Amino acid sequence: MSDFQLYLTNTAGLSSVASFWVFVASNGTKKFQGLALKIANGVMLVGFIALTVAIITRGVEAQRFPLANLYESLLWFAWATMGGFLYLCRSYGIQQLGWLASLLAATMFLYGSWLPQSQHDISPLVPALVSYWRQIHVPPLIVSYAMFFLAGLSGLLNLWQAGRLRSLAFCVGTIIAACSAIGLGTFSKVDTVWLQLLFVASSVLGPVAAFRSLGVQDAAIEQNKAAKKAAEMYDDVGYRCVAIGFPLLTIGIITGGLWANHAWGSYWSWDPKESMALVTWLSYAAYIHLRIQRDLSAEKLSIVSVIGLLLTLLTYLGFNSLGFGGLHSYGKFK
Amino acid sequence: MASLLKQDDKSKDLEPEVGSKAAISEEPKKVRAANKDQLSPFASVKLSVFLMCLMALTILIGAGVPQESQGGQEKVFEVFGNQIAEWLVRLGISDIYHSPWFLALTATLTLNMIVVSFQRVFPKLRLLKNTLPFFRGQDILKLPVHHCLTVAKADEQTALIADLSVRLTKMGYKVKAEGTKLMGQYGLVGRLAPSVTHVGLLTLLAGITITSWTGFNGFQPVLLDEKLNFTDSQHSKLWIGSLPKWQVRVDGTRRENYATGQAKQWFSNLSVVDDKGKVLHQGEISVNNPLTYENVDIYQSSWGLAKVAVSFNGHVRQLDLRPMGEKYACFLPLDQDTVLIMSLASEGKSLRVFAKRREWQAPKLISEIQAGKSIKLGDVDVVFEKAIPITGLQYKRDPGLPVTYLAFGIIMIGVLLAAVPHRHVWVALEENKLYLGGTSRKAKVGFERSIDNLVEKLKASFTLQEQERVDQGEEANV
Repeated sequence: MSDFQLYLTNTAGLSSVASFWVFVASNGTKKFQGLALKIANGVMLVGFIALTVAIITRGVEAQRFPLANLYESLLWFAWATMGGFLYLCRSYGIQQLGWLASLLAATMFLYGSWLPQSQHDISPLVPALVSYWRQIHVPPLIVSYAMFFLAGLSGLLNLWQAGRLRSLAFCVGTIIAACSAIGLGTFSKVDTVWLQLLFVASSVLGPVAAFRSLGVQDAAIEQNKAAKKAAEMYDDVGYRCVAIGFPLLTIGIITGGLWANHAWGSYWSWDPKESMALVTWLSYAAYIHLRIQRDLSAEKLSIVSVIGLLLTLLTYLGFNSLGFGGLHSYGKFK
Repeated sequence: MASLLKQDDKSKDLEPEVGSKAAISEEPKKVRAANKDQLSPFASVKLSVFLMCLMALTILIGAGVPQESQGGQEKVFEVFGNQIAEWLVRLGISDIYHSPWFLALTATLTLNMIVVSFQRVFPKLRLLKNTLPFFRGQDILKLPVHHCLTVAKADEQTALIADLSVRLTKMGYKVKAEGTKLMGQYGLVGRLAPSVTHVGLLTLLAGITITSWTGFNGFQPVLLDEKLNFTDSQHSKLWIGSLPKWQVRVDGTRRENYATGQAKQWFSNLSVVDDKGKVLHQGEISVNNPLTYENVDIYQSSWGLAKVAVSFNGHVRQLDLRPMGEKYACFLPLDQDTVLIMSLASEGKSLRVFAKRREWQAPKLISEIQAGKSIKLGDVDVVFEKAIPITGLQYKRDPGLPVTYLAFGIIMIGVLLAAVPHRHVWVALEENKLYLGGTSRKAKVGFERSIDNLVEKLKASFTLQEQERVDQGEEANV
């Protein structure tokens, strides 16, 4: 990895951290809030541009499409998260999603920076990855994962604005527990059975508790029309993210099937990771059916989108870090 | 119509019945209830969601528990230990994708999808032909997004309607006019999404069925100069296909490395030969580059070194190699305490000979022999003749593949169409008031903003004054 590429990647990482703090700080002042939000967005944009150039530079240096290991996929994920937020911000004028989006991007940069040097280095491809299908199959999946994360984060903000603070607390707690399991699975020697248990237990109990707590609403927020309007907005933003992510996930799964058929003569082999992608697909198909056909409340749909986020996390990082095997072990490094 | 517009968000009612004045004049809830009675219990969307969740849960379990079809039963025992593994095997969880539960679930979901497609999804295609009605001002005010503006100058009224028509057209709406009323529709193609996706899923089912009944597949490791035949191929119980009479001979196979020694690509030179040995077709395959002959695809699946040919005092022996990480090795016990180990990194590399005695902590390198060369080990003349590679060939015939690929294409189009929001806009100019409103089932906030923007542009061009606006709350901090 060249110094130039390292510099660009670090710039993007620092931008995401800086924009996070500026977004947070913007809530402390009403007078300068507009200016602070503009600065935060600008910093995020700088990071996005730097990361775009970094990814291109990496591709030029590697003389291949720069998406072949976990580190590179994390760069893509952060890129899609930042780009996705900037698009949503432009379309909806939303700002409060910014601190969550920048926190997510910063976490991915941090996670990537802690990976061993062998992951950062540009390494040659194993025979199975020497195919033009790689650039067709993987990017839609990574972008869809980022959009599902943004949908889940919009769900959290919807719960916040709707005054469902107890449900929100359960959802946030679940996400933190799940992320901790992933982090420990990646960087520690804790027995993966315990980590699998932590992930699964929190992912089941958290959303159930969140659903059960939906009846509890903050009385002050209940009467606040502006908050209601904002909640509607985040509900709409969440659905927009799913509406973008779902076709991309579908395309990713299908092109993966086409690649597998082209390479091994079978478009489906129930490999753990492809099975998980199908589980994620089914969960979002259920979300869309629930939304369009069943007219579920925005708060319930927000919890469904948080469940989707957890499944996406399990599909993207969980299966490699929590000790499941399979064909898609290119992201593994232990 | 009044009853239709009673609720806050009419989009749900408007979408199915819009365009049919007769339908609109009736009470939609009653109509829906009557239609519901005619539907099969399998056409329930609630059931669809429930089955999708069950299917997701089942696959989640299947993804978490090693499957016998992939790693063998030993893997299950290795991961879970005897006691739990026995239960997993007994309950069918270790082979969940072939369990009666999974098959029953798949069958029920399939039935549900077929019934939903024909009773719910496809009938809605008829609605696309219907023409939308024009709304009166009072009806527009009951829409979820609406504006009422006073037109200060009477002479601007005609120009205003014409301008609105142009602006809506530029925004992508298909606009119809009737006097001083306008009706615009955007993203009609988005309404095709469920139908297209369901057609794709049904086509996929057809493709999989054709494959299951007529296709076959298999895997065979083949040594150099040996032949692949199809006698051990796998196919379904309801199979009505046939196996090829010809065979595939491996004329050559090799591994290409990066400078670091890591495998870059595996190649095999294949000849398709008939029962008399006549060559019918030839080609080189590698990972991601299969060979196709008479609709049978042969894939380079894996590669390795199977044996090493070594002669001991002129007697040639082929010793089985075992993969040991990046290398291969064979073990020759010389006596109770001593083992001779021969290790080979790859084809073309020298054979490294080690000895290991019980009391030694690690094997000791005795010698290295290049291919075709010999060394003396005591009284024995050892010659490294050659390494014998083995190529893993996967094969399949899939007559349903074109249908499956078509299905994939249709599904992709369907889900892409789903991202297109379907929107309606109505305009009515009554006396000196301009009523503008609409509905959108998806991206409601984006729609509201686009209408607000339109109104702002109109205000800039004409003498308009906002009359009434619902939900003029304080600015939300979003």
